[in-house]
Amino acid sequence: MKVQRRDLLAAGGLAAFAAGFSQTFGRMVDAFSGDAAQGHNLYGAALAPEFRVDPDSGELKLNPDQQVSYTGCLGCTTLCGVRVRIDKTTGKVIRVAGNPFSPLSTEPHLPMKASVKESFIALSRFQDKGLAGRSTTCGRGNAALAQIDSPFRVLTPLKRVGPRNSGQWAPISFEQLVKEVVEGGDLFGEGHVDGLRALRDLDTPIDPDNPGFGPKVNQVGHIVSVNDGRDLLGRRFWQQAYGTQNYVGHGSYCGGSWRSGSGALFGDHRAMPHAKPDLAHAEFVLFIGTAPGNAGNPFKRTGQLLAEGRADKRLEYVVVDPLLTNADNRAAPEQGRWVPIRPGSDGALVMGMMRWLFEHDRVNTAYLANPSLQVAEAQGEPSFTNASWLVIVEAGHPREGRCLRGSDLGLPLPDGAERYGDDDPYLVMGPDGAPLPVPQARTAAPLEVDAVLTLAGGRSVRVRTGFELLRESALSQSLEAYSADCGIAVEIIAGLADEFSSHGRRACAVAHGGMMSGSGFYNAFSVATLNALIGNLNWKGGFVMNGGGFPSVAPGPRYDLVNFPGKIKPRGTPLGRNIPYERTAEFQRKREAGQAYPADDQWFPGAPGLGTEFFASTFSGYPYSLKALILWMANPVYGIPGLQERFGQDLADPKKLPLIISIDPLINESNAYADYIVPDSLMYESWGWATAWNGVPTRMLTARWPVIEPRQAKTAEGQPISMETFVFALARAMDLPGFGPEGLADAEGNRLPLERPEDWYLRAGANAAFAGEPVGDASDEDIALSGVERIRPQLEAVLKPEEWRKVALLYTRGGRYQPAAQAQEAERPEWQTNRFSKPLWVWSEHVGGARNALTGQRYSGCATWQAPAFCDGTPMRAVHGEAEWPLLAMSFKSALQNSYSIATPITGLHPENPLIVHPDDAAARGLKSGDAAWLATPGGRVKCTVLVHQGVMRGVVAVEHGFGHRELGARAHRIGERQQPDRPHLAAGFNINDIGLTDPTRGGRSIWVDAVSGAAVRNGLPAQLERA
Amino acid sequence: MKSERNEYEAREASEAGRRGTPPGPPDCNVSRRNFLRGVPVLTAAAAVPAMAQTPATARHWAMLVDVRRCIGCQSCTMSCIQENVVPEGSFRTVVSTYSVEVTDARQPAGTYVLPRLCNHCDNPPCVPVCPVGATFKRADGIVLVDADRCVGCAYCVQACPYDARFINHDTNKADKCTFCAHRLEAGLLPACVETCVGGARIFGDLNDAQGELRQRLDAARGELKVLKPEQGTAPQVFYIGLDERFTGKVEGQGSLWKPRARHA
Amino acid sequence: MNTAIVETINVTREVAWLPWAVSYFFLIGLSYGAFLLSLPGVVFRRPGWEALSRLALLGALVCGLTAPVALLADLHQPGRFWHFYAYFTPTSWMSWGAFFIPVYLVGLILYAWLAFRPLLAAHGRSDGRLAGLARAIAYGGLESRRALVGAAVVALVGALLVALYTGVEVMVVRARPLWHTPLLPVQFAVTAFAGAVGLTLLFNRFGPARHDAVLIGRMSRVLAVSQLAALLVGVLWLVLGVSGLAPVHAEALAEVAHSPGWQLTAVWAAGATVLTLLLSWWRPGSGLLVGLLALHSAWMMRWTIFIGGQEVPKTGAGFYSYSLPLGPEGLMGIVGTAGLWVFILVLLTTVLPLERLASARPAGV
Ligand SMILES: Nc1nc2c(c(=O)[nH]1)N[C@H]1C(S)=C(S)[C@@H](COP(=O)(O)OP(=O)(O)OC[C@H]3O[C@@H](n4cnc5c(=O)[nH]c(N)nc54)[C@H](O)[C@@H]3O)O[C@H]1N2
Ligand SMILES: Nc1nc2c(c(=O)[nH]1)N[C@H]1C(S)=C(S)[C@@H](COP(=O)(O)OP(=O)(O)OC[C@H]3O[C@@H](n4cnc5c(=O)[nH]c(N)nc54)[C@H](O)[C@@H]3O)O[C@H]1N2
Ligand code: SF4
Ligand code: SF4
Ligand code: SF4
Ligand code: SF4
Ligand code: SF4
Ligand SMILES: [Mo]
Repeated sequence: MKVQRRDLLAAGGLAAFAAGFSQTFGRMVDAFSGDAAQGHNLYGAALAPEFRVDPDSGELKLNPDQQVSYTGCLGCTTLCGVRVRIDKTTGKVIRVAGNPFSPLSTEPHLPMKASVKESFIALSRFQDKGLAGRSTTCGRGNAALAQIDSPFRVLTPLKRVGPRNSGQWAPISFEQLVKEVVEGGDLFGEGHVDGLRALRDLDTPIDPDNPGFGPKVNQVGHIVSVNDGRDLLGRRFWQQAYGTQNYVGHGSYCGGSWRSGSGALFGDHRAMPHAKPDLAHAEFVLFIGTAPGNAGNPFKRTGQLLAEGRADKRLEYVVVDPLLTNADNRAAPEQGRWVPIRPGSDGALVMGMMRWLFEHDRVNTAYLANPSLQVAEAQGEPSFTNASWLVIVEAGHPREGRCLRGSDLGLPLPDGAERYGDDDPYLVMGPDGAPLPVPQARTAAPLEVDAVLTLAGGRSVRVRTGFELLRESALSQSLEAYSADCGIAVEIIAGLADEFSSHGRRACAVAHGGMMSGSGFYNAFSVATLNALIGNLNWKGGFVMNGGGFPSVAPGPRYDLVNFPGKIKPRGTPLGRNIPYERTAEFQRKREAGQAYPADDQWFPGAPGLGTEFFASTFSGYPYSLKALILWMANPVYGIPGLQERFGQDLADPKKLPLIISIDPLINESNAYADYIVPDSLMYESWGWATAWNGVPTRMLTARWPVIEPRQAKTAEGQPISMETFVFALARAMDLPGFGPEGLADAEGNRLPLERPEDWYLRAGANAAFAGEPVGDASDEDIALSGVERIRPQLEAVLKPEEWRKVALLYTRGGRYQPAAQAQEAERPEWQTNRFSKPLWVWSEHVGGARNALTGQRYSGCATWQAPAFCDGTPMRAVHGEAEWPLLAMSFKSALQNSYSIATPITGLHPENPLIVHPDDAAARGLKSGDAAWLATPGGRVKCTVLVHQGVMRGVVAVEHGFGHRELGARAHRIGERQQPDRPHLAAGFNINDIGLTDPTRGGRSIWVDAVSGAAVRNGLPAQLERA
Repeated sequence: MKSERNEYEAREASEAGRRGTPPGPPDCNVSRRNFLRGVPVLTAAAAVPAMAQTPATARHWAMLVDVRRCIGCQSCTMSCIQENVVPEGSFRTVVSTYSVEVTDARQPAGTYVLPRLCNHCDNPPCVPVCPVGATFKRADGIVLVDADRCVGCAYCVQACPYDARFINHDTNKADKCTFCAHRLEAGLLPACVETCVGGARIFGDLNDAQGELRQRLDAARGELKVLKPEQGTAPQVFYIGLDERFTGKVEGQGSLWKPRARHA
Repeated sequence: MNTAIVETINVTREVAWLPWAVSYFFLIGLSYGAFLLSLPGVVFRRPGWEALSRLALLGALVCGLTAPVALLADLHQPGRFWHFYAYFTPTSWMSWGAFFIPVYLVGLILYAWLAFRPLLAAHGRSDGRLAGLARAIAYGGLESRRALVGAAVVALVGALLVALYTGVEVMVVRARPLWHTPLLPVQFAVTAFAGAVGLTLLFNRFGPARHDAVLIGRMSRVLAVSQLAALLVGVLWLVLGVSGLAPVHAEALAEVAHSPGWQLTAVWAAGATVLTLLLSWWRPGSGLLVGLLALHSAWMMRWTIFIGGQEVPKTGAGFYSYSLPLGPEGLMGIVGTAGLWVFILVLLTTVLPLERLASARPAGV
């Protein structure tokens, strides 16, 4: 007995020993059998250098095993120019850094004439060049390469199996994909689905009662993210060849309110121009709702210039933000300052500042008094405003809120000119007390005018200047009241105004994402207008325009990529209702019925295409419904507050929306609902001509080209399946204009094919290369060193002999760039070269002349403070009071993540997002850092982990965006026989958009958007927080 | 696995030198302070006789981190991982980021970022403890690990006062920042330096009086600090804008999430 | 809650000295402790100590043979252990240790063999299991006092060197204030000895003398004294720390004082020691219990020093949180070491049945 126990004991002991030391034994064996190659004894597995530069002679030696190419990053919307390092043997991207030619990655950037060889040497230790000419990618940009070979990539066309969003797909052939989406049929055994051919009805009106809606083709809608350099091909297909009106970008849920507010000042609600601080020369910048160096576009350039400015003690800046971000840096405390503000209340701060400026004579009235560019420039001013123009303020007058025009006074119109058209002059008060047409003004015009004029019809109306109306708006509330509304002390408001107006033209105020609140439009309009009051537009160191690109998709000089026979001009009411309600048939009907207002739902005269409103429109059928939705590179379900909660069910229902097609390399929260997913190329695999979104004062164009072999499956012709090959195939199948063997023409009008991506992009490149002063030719050395050898055959095949080396030059340099020195004019070095030459609309008649479709109330035409409200003007707090919802929740961009970088190594460093809570608010709820809590809004609740610190305003909770994913790896999809890997940690954290609000004043028909801009509201959500 | 003779020589040399020096703050500290006063002196490594024999490495690599220029973008962190194929969950460098309460009323709190990496100490505590002499300070100032010799005992990991070392789970040997010696040798810059968005990381040869690094160091004389000076390790990574509260172990609340390593 | 400084992004350093190391320091400590306990009975032949000392020697042997294996496993490159001998590095205490361990083990094994030869021979004459093996090992079985003493001296020197290096190796790590106190080696030694007493009590529980109150009482006294010593050193450490008389201790204390986890462990450890002290003094009878308690304290002390110590970031804020992995790097490793220990114990006690070993009669007779 005993003996046996001993044996068992011994055996057990031995077994445990064997198990416990298994690893040790293994490692010992390795050690002797000489374990797996572990690289150099000192450098380990470090990558072999891409090339060598002799530190003494500067001589360059290449590494034959690696390719270094300049192309574009898409790690965020900044679209930086980068240099990609490729292991030629494996074809894998091994590292990415910056392109020294690109101002988005380098300051100052190399001149175009520098050879590729010189550009490599400029990155090296030789003469410390690499430090001065440092060219960078950000943390995300470094990590982004992981997406190329991500196990979550879509590589073949997918067709859903089972119901929508069930995570089950069948890989299908490209041919089957094209056939099914074009011809339709009973595609899912759920009944007949119209294909794109049937849906392309250019004649039959959607609704005979509302012919204004346009033809049925408008029932095909398209949402794209950002223009990554391919957008114009998308538009050529969907709008000009296929014919739909409804093609929108992500603007309305990006920074839509800022853009609309800016568009109001710049007087353009389509292009919505906006300016940025000239960070390289500014003395003082006020960032209100944009976090330089934490996020922002251009992310790196802004961050670098900010860092340089504060380190050199040249730049002082203030960041007005409910949250403390990386925009602050305690190592340079005297240069920067964080001023906490209550979300959605920026208008109060800014109008308070304006009040102070008016009261202390700090408004640059001399500047504002210039009625035209002609007068302004004579006064040495590079820009002007309409502050002195006369505005009709007669209550009840049909033109109330609009600027007085010559025709109103009965002045004869120049023949051919139409009433209220461009040639119907605006007026200022003349020296003689009589109205004077602006074109005839030779001097400054009076700013303080309050007069009654007799119009042509004999009716006399009261007119005032925009200046007066703005001042009245600013003075309408006391500083104390403004202070109470925004939570910023009176002396700080005054201090900001004082500082802002103490740097001449080298000061500036700018905003962006922080404007995405329930008072977004007017907050943004106010911030933009602040700049007009010091006259900093177009000044070096002031408020400056983007340099813009070089025309590539243009009508010349080498190829006409714009016009083609049979080109369609889409017509009809846009699905997003971004036109004045007063232009609709509904308005006519209701007015005749005697009750013009309210409209059945909101209309947004002050906005461009509204992706935010697509969903409310199509699912409520107002104005009409979509039959098919195309999602290209877009993820509205993840990015729009409240969308999934409000419309998830509808999206999942094929009866409500019969066809959803996505073109995307990944499965995200939106295309998880798709019926078909078309694989697309990822950044380093794709073509494109991308301009800087803004913030680069010189002209630049980034050349994106396949520096590696695209991973997607190929078409029968051997083309990688992508957005391009997809639309080419659709065009062929439906025989659409502007594509095919004669799709294009050169400058001489000779027809050329548009059947492969190169046909488009290389010719666009030729236009860019020949724009203005044509660029030089790429040398064989340039081509060899930059890996452009890869596409040399296409270059020579598609382009003309005199063209291809010039286009090659752009690819070898990763684009075309204007010299940094040309940002300012040579003869007037204080003026920017690229200036905005139209008036700044201190009073926007476009807005001031419009009404809220739900109430018939007039909008204010100038900057003003209005508390966050729902569409019909009901203050948010009147519906969701502080008693029940004591907190305000807001969103900010992760400094590291973007909305689709979750499955990259950056997540290893920062695995999850916390809810940032102020210590007082935490204490009140017995919460401490690390505790789990429920964050609730009227839109729902989410579980989160709280992080408690002083870096957030009391009463505000802040959510870092980029986490809380349901897709992009968070859920393992089944594709045919293949199951994607399980990576539950990719679902870490939470997304504030899961608890976005719906608008009670729109019968819950839609999510909460700003009444004027239609932009998503993600900041200032009423909220509660409690322990979980 | 290749390995360079001259580095071994240098290693032997610097080891010989080190064994000579008694524990406690060695003279290179003094000389460092002198250097900051601008008096050109030789560094500890340079003091090693063998230096003369290998003039090719008569350099002394060092880094300057200008915290005022750092935007906490972690490009350095990620590029280091890519360049050096650092296993997931391990880091040779990182930019510690803090929310700091501000008492001077102007604002309630501020952001403090602190790029950290191996300091390539002139008096490196990680070196003498190594039981097999696998880690050493090269004549050019770089502290390296000879993976052919390392037994993975992790004694050096314990001895480094800066948490700069770790056991690499792919190699099962000590790992740390090498100042990207493989790139320096190719005439290039360290990965984290060449892609530093804010331009906060300045790298170069301390002994090159004309070089960018020395110029900047001289210009910033007086403002310069190093981490844990009291340890007498003579770090060769210098900081501008290093806040006293962050020179040693930070007294505060630790980060909620720590990077995840998928192994184990 | 203090929010003066809140770290929002930083990295963790995993513990690099794994539970393997704890096992090693634990076992090697027990071994040299037990070796010392073996001297009175085996070498000096003090009456009443024979049985205990032989049990202790058995313990010293079992632990001594197991410990190096755990140490080997703590190397991430175990196959390269020979580098220690190929590349001697005088500046490194660990390098010296690589030479001290063999000195000690060779001495110990020789000493044990000489001490047990008669018993082995006796077993060889019996028809017990592995009698043949016993006979072979006994190799005649005659005892030679001189050789025994000689071996004991070698082992003693080795033991002291091992005690020294295991303590100092950790103590010199200035980077870890918690380790960097002159008291640490003393604490290691004292707790090691107390643990050894505990181990002997444990063994005795299974020997013929399991009810020998006198013997157990004697052991308990020895244990009580060692626990008292451990407490005093602990108190001294605390006093030095709190008073700030000795900066190194103040630093060490400061490092952990704020951690609730640490406060708990501290109280726990102190409590356990006090309890052991009291029990062993007032209830000398409760041999097994105090034995186990003593072993537990010895383990706890090392676990908290090594694992706990590595949970303290050297630069970052707060603490790294360690959770014991189940695999070889953690639990399996500990279990595996225990397994080896048990195996060796069973093997030895088969050729050397406890009955003989722990019978009060002097060896050989
Ligand atoms: N790191 C990183 N950079 C990025 C991106 C990314 O995903 N990650 N995305 C790119 C894109 S698409 C864009 S559009 C830009 C956006 O760049 P930004 O507009 O600069 O970034 P956001 O985080 O959207 O908003 C800026 C700040 O507004 C603050 N804020 C929120 N509500 C309010 C408010 O009511 N008032 C005020 N004053 N501030 C408020 C937030 O705390 C945030 O810090 O960033 C680009 N760059
Ligand atoms: N709460 C909250 N919500 C936000 C924001 C916020 O800060 N907070 N930010 C807002 C802002 S500023 C924006 S711009 C929007 C962004 O929202 P969207 O522009 O709609 O979508 P993204 O998430 O940027 O990316 C869309 C998809 O593009 C795909 N993709 C990535 N690379 C490529 C490529 O190379 N080719 C193709 N074809 N597809 C690619 C990925 O699958 C990704 O899911 O989100 C907005 N939503
Ligand atoms: S800023 Fe955006 S585009 Fe530029 S490198 Fe970083 S991720 Fe890429
Ligand atoms: S920082 Fe640490 S690892 Fe680097 S040299 Fe100094 S002690 Fe050694
Ligand atoms: S881990 Fe390697 S380098 Fe570090 S001390 Fe041990 S053997 Fe030396
Ligand atoms: S120098 Fe090289 S190894 Fe060191 S941190 Fe920078 S990138 Fe990493
Ligand atoms: S790359 Fe430069 S700016 Fe960015 S975090 Fe690192 S050190 Fe700071
Ligand atoms: Mo955006």
